[in-house]
Amino acid sequence: MRLIDRYVNEVGKRLVLVKGHADIEKELHSTLEDMLEDRAQKAGRPADEALEIELLKEYGTPDKVAQTYNPHPYLIGPRMFPVFVLLVKIVLAAIALGFVIATTMQIITHPPATIMELLKLIGQGLLNMLSGFIAGFGNLALIFALLERTTPASELEFGALHKVGSKFTVLHTADEGERWDPQTLMKEPEPQAVKMWEPILAIVFTLFVIVVFNFNRQWLSLDYTAQGIWFVGVGNFISGKTGSIPLFSEAFFRWLPLMNVTWLAEIVLNGMLLRSMRWNISTSLISIGTKILQILINLLLLSGPFILGITADALAASKLMNMDTAQTVSTALRTAMPIVLGLGIFGKVIDIGQAGYKMITQDRPAKV
Amino acid sequence: MTNTENFETISLELRRGVIVLAVLSLLGEEQYGYSLLKLLSDQGLEVDQGTLYPLLRRLEGQGWLRSVWKIETARPRRYYVISPLGRKFLPDLKKEWNGIVSVMDRILSDKKERE
Repeated sequence: MRLIDRYVNEVGKRLVLVKGHADIEKELHSTLEDMLEDRAQKAGRPADEALEIELLKEYGTPDKVAQTYNPHPYLIGPRMFPVFVLLVKIVLAAIALGFVIATTMQIITHPPATIMELLKLIGQGLLNMLSGFIAGFGNLALIFALLERTTPASELEFGALHKVGSKFTVLHTADEGERWDPQTLMKEPEPQAVKMWEPILAIVFTLFVIVVFNFNRQWLSLDYTAQGIWFVGVGNFISGKTGSIPLFSEAFFRWLPLMNVTWLAEIVLNGMLLRSMRWNISTSLISIGTKILQILINLLLLSGPFILGITADALAASKLMNMDTAQTVSTALRTAMPIVLGLGIFGKVIDIGQAGYKMITQDRPAKV
Repeated sequence: MTNTENFETISLELRRGVIVLAVLSLLGEEQYGYSLLKLLSDQGLEVDQGTLYPLLRRLEGQGWLRSVWKIETARPRRYYVISPLGRKFLPDLKKEWNGIVSVMDRILSDKKERE
């Protein structure tokens, strides 16, 4: 088999899904033969393998050649992508809501006897939800990939999807210009604008956190009854409480003064936002500074002694589980805690990076 | 991307815009892919084969060209020719092109005067 034959074969392998691929291969073969012949004549030498190598090198890799014939370089192209994203959000939100309702109903109708059973139930619910997400996303991607390949562009103008006010509207190309009113852009929120409820909610929540962590530590506990019912934080209001385990260890509260600084900074920041109702350089810088301090605290918590008070001994002392189960729970918490703190750091680094990048490149303050 | 690469990309985009018109104009007579490529090159328009062949397929798919396989020499060749539909729209495309050329001429000459 000659090099040209092998080359055409390789290109063909990459075009199996393209309509008329056999025809493309035949034409490519014919063209390469023409080019080789032409080249040999001009060079006054035989059309040997060396000349074939020279020609094929110039023609490009089989990947590159096959790519030029691919009419659908994307799984889901730009004309359908906005609708795809919108539907993915709706479908995933519906799946999440469905599973939360189903799991809650299951807990209410068949209350778990122990905390392990409750954790198992929640874990199972989360796993089912994850499977639902994957299936929902996969099915949507499949449908859109098929539509992308089967629907002529003239019949499906998804590229003409517009956000009019707060609603998405599909406008077809023909009447798009007439129906779209540029004044609707005024209804769009400014990127730097702050909704009033956001800072108010943040202040109320932060004050609540300060009060609980500084003055009501007893709320930060895992309480239980002799019947094996567990509560977090509200045990003091429940009759029949037989014992409680503090959620956090002293190693955690050692850094409380530093945490108070970040919480106070959050209150100041949200107070400023409430006044100006938009992000500016000062508020962005305060927010970045607060996040840096929070990263530092997370690092201190990560590097120090274990910050949770829920130990195997404390769980076993409740007499609601044996030592083996208590140790399993304790090990799971010890494994999960660094992951949670690490993810917190990662999220804050991303926030800071994005805000910093926007401040530098767009010359305007960013929402952090 | 370097400035040279940027220049090449912009230059390629400029040429891409006129290839359809050049191809339709030259395909009043039957041509196979490689002969068309050489014809374009002889006229001073260098077109990459990776651009030309998919374009020929696209124009044929849209009904502006017709093609037929012929065995004249040792190997079969696919010959393309403008279709009645392509022929119908070609004058309008030429008119469009002439309009663009005169507008661009005006813009470029005004620029020269300003300089």
